[in-house]
Amino acid sequence: MANYFNTLPLREKLNQLGVCEFMDNSEFSDGVNALKGKKLVIVGCGAQGLNQGLNLRDSGLDVSYALRKEAIDGKRDSWKNATENNFTVGTYEELIPNADVVINLTPDKQHTAVVNAVMPLMKQGATLSYSHGFNIVEEGMQIRKDITVIMVAPKCPGSEVRAEYCRGFGVPTLIAVHPENDPAGKGLAEAKAYCVGTGGHRAGVLLSSFVAEVKSDLMGEQTILCGLLQTGSILSFDKMIEKGIDAGYASKLVQYGVEVITEALKHGGVSGMMDRLSNVAKVKAFEVSEELKDIMRPLFQKHQDDIMSGEFSRTMMEDWANGDKNLLKWRAETGETAFEKTPAGDVKIGEQEYFDNYLLMVAFVRAGVELAFETMVEAGIKPESAYYESLHETPLIANTIARKKLFEMNRVISDTAEYGCYLFDQACKPLLTDFMKKVDTDLVGKNFNEGKDGSVDNITLVNINEKLRSHQVEIVGARLRKAMTAMKAIKTA
Amino acid sequence: MTHSNMNNSKPKSLSGDLGPIVHVSNLNLQYQYKLVLKNLNWTINRGENWLLGGISGSGKSSLAKVIAGLQNAVGEVEFNFNIDSALPAKVLFVESWYQFKNVEGVANFYYQQRYTSLQAKETLTVGAELISYSKENNLEFAEVEKLLKALNFSSLRNSQLLELSSGEHKKLQLIKALWLKPQLLIIDQPYTGLDKDSRKTLNSLLDEICADGVQLILICNDTELPASINCFAEIREGQLVQVESREMISTAPERTSRELPDFLKQSPVYSSENIVKMIDVSISYGEKMVLRNINWEVKAGEKWLLQGPNGSGKSTLLSLVNGDHPQSYANNFYLFGNKRGSGESIWDIKQHTGIISPEFHWYFDASSTVWQSVASGLFDSVGLFRQLPFSQKAKVDELIEFFDLTENKDDLLSSLPLGKQRLVLLARTIIKNPELLILDEPCQGLDQQQTQYFNQLVDELCNNGMTLIYVGHFESALPSCLEKRIVLENGEVKAIESIAESCLV
Repeated sequence: MANYFNTLPLREKLNQLGVCEFMDNSEFSDGVNALKGKKLVIVGCGAQGLNQGLNLRDSGLDVSYALRKEAIDGKRDSWKNATENNFTVGTYEELIPNADVVINLTPDKQHTAVVNAVMPLMKQGATLSYSHGFNIVEEGMQIRKDITVIMVAPKCPGSEVRAEYCRGFGVPTLIAVHPENDPAGKGLAEAKAYCVGTGGHRAGVLLSSFVAEVKSDLMGEQTILCGLLQTGSILSFDKMIEKGIDAGYASKLVQYGVEVITEALKHGGVSGMMDRLSNVAKVKAFEVSEELKDIMRPLFQKHQDDIMSGEFSRTMMEDWANGDKNLLKWRAETGETAFEKTPAGDVKIGEQEYFDNYLLMVAFVRAGVELAFETMVEAGIKPESAYYESLHETPLIANTIARKKLFEMNRVISDTAEYGCYLFDQACKPLLTDFMKKVDTDLVGKNFNEGKDGSVDNITLVNINEKLRSHQVEIVGARLRKAMTAMKAIKTA
Repeated sequence: MTHSNMNNSKPKSLSGDLGPIVHVSNLNLQYQYKLVLKNLNWTINRGENWLLGGISGSGKSSLAKVIAGLQNAVGEVEFNFNIDSALPAKVLFVESWYQFKNVEGVANFYYQQRYTSLQAKETLTVGAELISYSKENNLEFAEVEKLLKALNFSSLRNSQLLELSSGEHKKLQLIKALWLKPQLLIIDQPYTGLDKDSRKTLNSLLDEICADGVQLILICNDTELPASINCFAEIREGQLVQVESREMISTAPERTSRELPDFLKQSPVYSSENIVKMIDVSISYGEKMVLRNINWEVKAGEKWLLQGPNGSGKSTLLSLVNGDHPQSYANNFYLFGNKRGSGESIWDIKQHTGIISPEFHWYFDASSTVWQSVASGLFDSVGLFRQLPFSQKAKVDELIEFFDLTENKDDLLSSLPLGKQRLVLLARTIIKNPELLILDEPCQGLDQQQTQYFNQLVDELCNNGMTLIYVGHFESALPSCLEKRIVLENGEVKAIESIAESCLV
């Protein structure tokens, strides 16, 4: 199988990368009708599989689960999850032939095997749904021409998809139709109905393409979302220990700080986050983040280039073939860092203290969000997609760190994201060696404002505010956040 | 304010000649523009155990939180713990309604997910929580066994914390407090959600720890109290007033009756004569049977009382009626005339019903204002996610006025006293004039006066022919419109009868 994107002429590459439309509510007025009465068969019953299935069934759709024979015979967790919630469960051979829509919710690396197994069983004119485009775009999987191929990708973990649905809301969702596989022209209608079935239409839907989804998703998760949060957390913790800050305090500041800081990002964008700092601290955070942007820009560009050329997926698939040797080794190494091994201390850290004493992370987040966004847009990805894959998802990932540090983050994200995260982290730390030498506890561990009189130069501050507020990620973000009508607070410890 | 010697107390005098355990002086507390406590003074002497009662919203819980160091205020709170005592030199506050937030391993959880069967048990269990509590506070594990048994909690040891109902969480907090035996123990609404036997047990357990030297402050208006209670007070105009006896504590003025809004006088439009019809309905998790062969019919306009001891399956039964239970789909069971799983969505079902339960309240959107909360009932969403047309806005305003909530309409729901929060949720629930109103222990956590007020409203509202399912404990006060009763025990129907026939109610 050849990388699908690389087989396209430049014109078509640009065309597919540039698909991005924020859909209006009125586009969903037909509800779930396009799927009503049809047989939806979900392959895989992990967190996404089970929770999406519960939502779709509660929306009045006919849902069952196809599992591998070994999972059924062995009464594995996936079998128990599905049967105990009263779903019909069967083997591929039993359920796929009657399915109108086959929904593939297995992990990336199983896609080729799963699709090869189900495709011959699928009836003429059925639909195959993905929640990530990797298999189609990077692995170049070819789907039978009578089959419609769609993507519905909720931008949140499975339990959240369920929780928000039960509240009468939903999570932002990205949908796409593969242009090579839409013989009857029904793909978009079915993707929209699916989206209504999981509640996504209430929280904002982005019409994308398989190509745009993959190329932006990979970039976001490798750089700002996981890679940079990991690098920034580890470097910050190590710096505090080096400077004699109490280890329990340092651990707590890093574990929860990134969540509290990005909560401000979620509500008010980069400028909302920076506005939580005093004027003196904001000027400093701006300067530090400008420096970080200069240092890290080439690395962000390298990641985007490798994603576009297919180099990233090629090396990762080599590792798949090698039994995940690198992935497992790097995962073990992350588990052994001092930050991971030091429990958060029993100290109370106030909400504002997380900003005042952790200015370095504010600078990291600003630099990372803006860099990821800029690099994606320069590479031909639409600003709306770039916003979703950078700023929008950062608080969601930060929340996983708050729960159980980097181990939890890397457990929750896909193996693909995890692999890219380690690649970034390994390259980024050496880049920042000289920079980190200059960092002292005023940036991380102690209150930056302490001992300062708080006055700043008017013109400097005006210029900084202007720069922050006029950045494209802020302009696009303000519009998209308004469309996502409700932003709810993440529960913090 | 200062919290003198909160945890490592230095006695001012030798033991045997100890001063008061707490001395509160000139306490002032203001919420936004509302003065709650005004130059409040209070001395709690050795051997005194207080009841703090009185009108809802008078500042009782706020005062307790200030004493416990959980709320800032202007003024002095001085402690004088006995360092020679074996009891921990600290004050512990048990909240009226435990807000369980920090669930390790789960960021975003909604109560309905309790009913989903999930293999991976990733969050803390009751047993693990108790072990970590015993380590934190150097407590003997053998001591807690007795408490678990006395309060019927032993069987919940392997439950995950997020599977507990709010009443069970309350019990867990009480168990921890009784186990810890702090020198000063403050309990806000100690009897919430406890059945009659558990209340009695709690009172004798409280008397036991008092005998060991714990001093109590109970905040409630209940009548059956531990024998140790020997001082009574209430807060009037921000100041503490000691009274002779429980009977001298003020009660809330009678509710001035108001005319129901027109849209609620009209009978709901019934789509079917049959509201609920269950035929041999059973629910189980793995080996554990929660409901067994339930047969039950509710017809349009009927007013049902659902009763049963803790753990008898009441909440699960209601989750079926409300469309919340994933196992609905495999059962022979009809809602509003349609077989469950025949292509209806849960939003179709919820359109016909309105529900309040302690869990629903618990997980309600804390960032909603009163107005938004009421309006969200039109869409069955937890919190408001859209704009309303004018006629619907007018309806929300009218209902808020009927419930005497106009002056609070822009306040955050979570900033109101519990009784008022419940009224907001009742308003939310009836705004669409539902065919079926489900009230699952709607008065849990409310005192007697609030309960009476609430039930009176339910009677007024149900006059228009609305169908009602009301869950209350055997001894709790009930609305008078109830006419039929279903009793569950161990997941089975123990009795279905008309209330006039049974002399129990």
